[in-house]
Amino acid sequence: MEMLQITNLKKRFGDKEVLKGVTLAVPEGGVFGFIGKNGAGKTTTMKTVLGLLKPDEGTILVADEPVVYGQTATNRYIGYLPDVPEFYDFMTPSEYLTFCGEITGMDKKDIVTRREELLELVGLSGEKHRIKGFSRGMKQRLGIAQALLGRPKLLICDEPTSALDPVGRKEILDILQAVKEQTTVLFSTHILSDVERICTDIAFLHDGVVCMQGKLSEIKSGKRTEEYRIETEREADARTLAEKFSECALSGERQLLFREGKATIFELMRFLADKEIEIAGVERMEPSLESLFMEVVKK
Amino acid sequence: MKSLIAFTKKEWMEQLRSGRLLLLLIIFTLFGIMNPAIAKLTPWIFELMADSLEESGMVVTTVTVDAMTSWTQFFKNIPMALIVFVLMESSIFTREYQSGTLVLALTKGLERYKVVLAKSFVLIVLWSAGYWLCFGITYGYNSYFWDNGIVQNLLFSVTCWWLFGLFVVMLMVLFSVMTDANTGVLLGTGGVTLAVYLITLLPKAAPFSPAKLMGSVALLTGAEEKGDYYKALPITVVLCVVGVMASIPIQNNRRL
Ligand SMILES: Nc1ncnc2c1ncn2[C@@H]1O[C@H](COP(=O)(O)OP(=O)(O)O)[C@@H](O)[C@H]1O
Ligand SMILES: [Mg+2]
Repeated sequence: MEMLQITNLKKRFGDKEVLKGVTLAVPEGGVFGFIGKNGAGKTTTMKTVLGLLKPDEGTILVADEPVVYGQTATNRYIGYLPDVPEFYDFMTPSEYLTFCGEITGMDKKDIVTRREELLELVGLSGEKHRIKGFSRGMKQRLGIAQALLGRPKLLICDEPTSALDPVGRKEILDILQAVKEQTTVLFSTHILSDVERICTDIAFLHDGVVCMQGKLSEIKSGKRTEEYRIETEREADARTLAEKFSECALSGERQLLFREGKATIFELMRFLADKEIEIAGVERMEPSLESLFMEVVKK
Repeated sequence: MKSLIAFTKKEWMEQLRSGRLLLLLIIFTLFGIMNPAIAKLTPWIFELMADSLEESGMVVTTVTVDAMTSWTQFFKNIPMALIVFVLMESSIFTREYQSGTLVLALTKGLERYKVVLAKSFVLIVLWSAGYWLCFGITYGYNSYFWDNGIVQNLLFSVTCWWLFGLFVVMLMVLFSVMTDANTGVLLGTGGVTLAVYLITLLPKAAPFSPAKLMGSVALLTGAEEKGDYYKALPITVVLCVVGVMASIPIQNNRRL
């Protein structure tokens, strides 16, 4: 089953069309990475899914139920962490989670067990201070806890790692990794290494449309262009190659990056053999999201 | 119902922990004490100034003060208290819009109208508690020093003014759901208050304006009768109900 199905979603602000027909399917289970540059429209897409923004066109289904703007019943399936979560900072984390449980109508006992469980998970148990003095990382972790409180089927996190330092980012990624057993995770980001670390599925949002989506492993293996790192014995040879092949780019004094284009690796090899160029090493590169992303963005 | 109670509880916690509640209680208490205090001090001030006044040729007769002096002060000062109240609580909605704290509660399924109801309720209770506290203190001092019995229609006239305060509270709610910023709330509330006040300057329309209720001091001396308020009273009550009810669909459709 698809946990979330967006079809032909369009949204404009004034005369600026931000979403030009986004179609996206998030399968149940797993961690879905929603990738796009700053200003691509990730937040806009997520807010429409939550019924916080009114779409100009298109339909959104959450667990096969249509999303309605304003009073959004489908939100009962969703746990949401906004890009900059703001809490009632006069409360302690424990009080805040209790408040969240009460407004969603959870019963008292359940609130207590769930609260303690989640505070433990995000490393805030025993935190008796008010939220007022919390760091970005702590707020982000509390944000995940409040999002998970009602045992949502779908956890939506808007750039949960963007504003954090490496340690904070790792903490968040570990938490997301840990909860994927309980819920489907959809998170947006522009940090590709985060995606490579934990995502099972991805979608690229660019120019108002989703220009690529699918299983991370399939997308990576189905990538057409191959990349090789080539090291020559002599500096001059490296330069010759870079001049001869437009697909070659110098990446060091004697190092080249070869991305297959018009010329394939075989042609390069033939050239090397003909000219008797001495090679120190040839390595096929693991396709990286980075290069994939650049490819998509260039098109 | 559970979620409404939870949200209202949160509002109280906020009032308490931000110190607003305490500050409001102190302010209304001070206003309550000020009315009889000013009345009590008036003859003394006149005595102090008597010499210099006589030198400048003014005739000073001994002033007598009674409960009426103090109640007149009450009606003179309560607008100030209302203004302080409005200034302190005008951001009750807007600070949530601006910080984004409502987003999490609303995406959790809290119905938007409950936000309006909870906050309106808190404002009504705060205004009422403050107002009647102020009244009670003035009443207590007055009956200690003088005789409240000389004042006519006391309860009726203070109720009129209390209701006018509720009208202003309704305006705060209404303009809160329509604007994002505090200034919008203040301008809207102030603007409409000024407008209904201007209506009272037109003799024909005056009896219908909620601002008529502000002049209820005239009841104390018998210069006016209760009947003079029988138009403004129901009109104000209806406007209060309509205002809060209109806030709900506006809140439901606003963008967060
Ligand atoms: N309320 C709004 N009014 C006008 N423009 C907006 C509004 N919200 C977002 N935008 C514009 O829409 C574009 C996409 O924004 P956003 O969805 O926040 O991007 P992302 O989250 O991918 O960084 C941006 O160019 C932004 O300026
Ligand atoms: Mg964003």
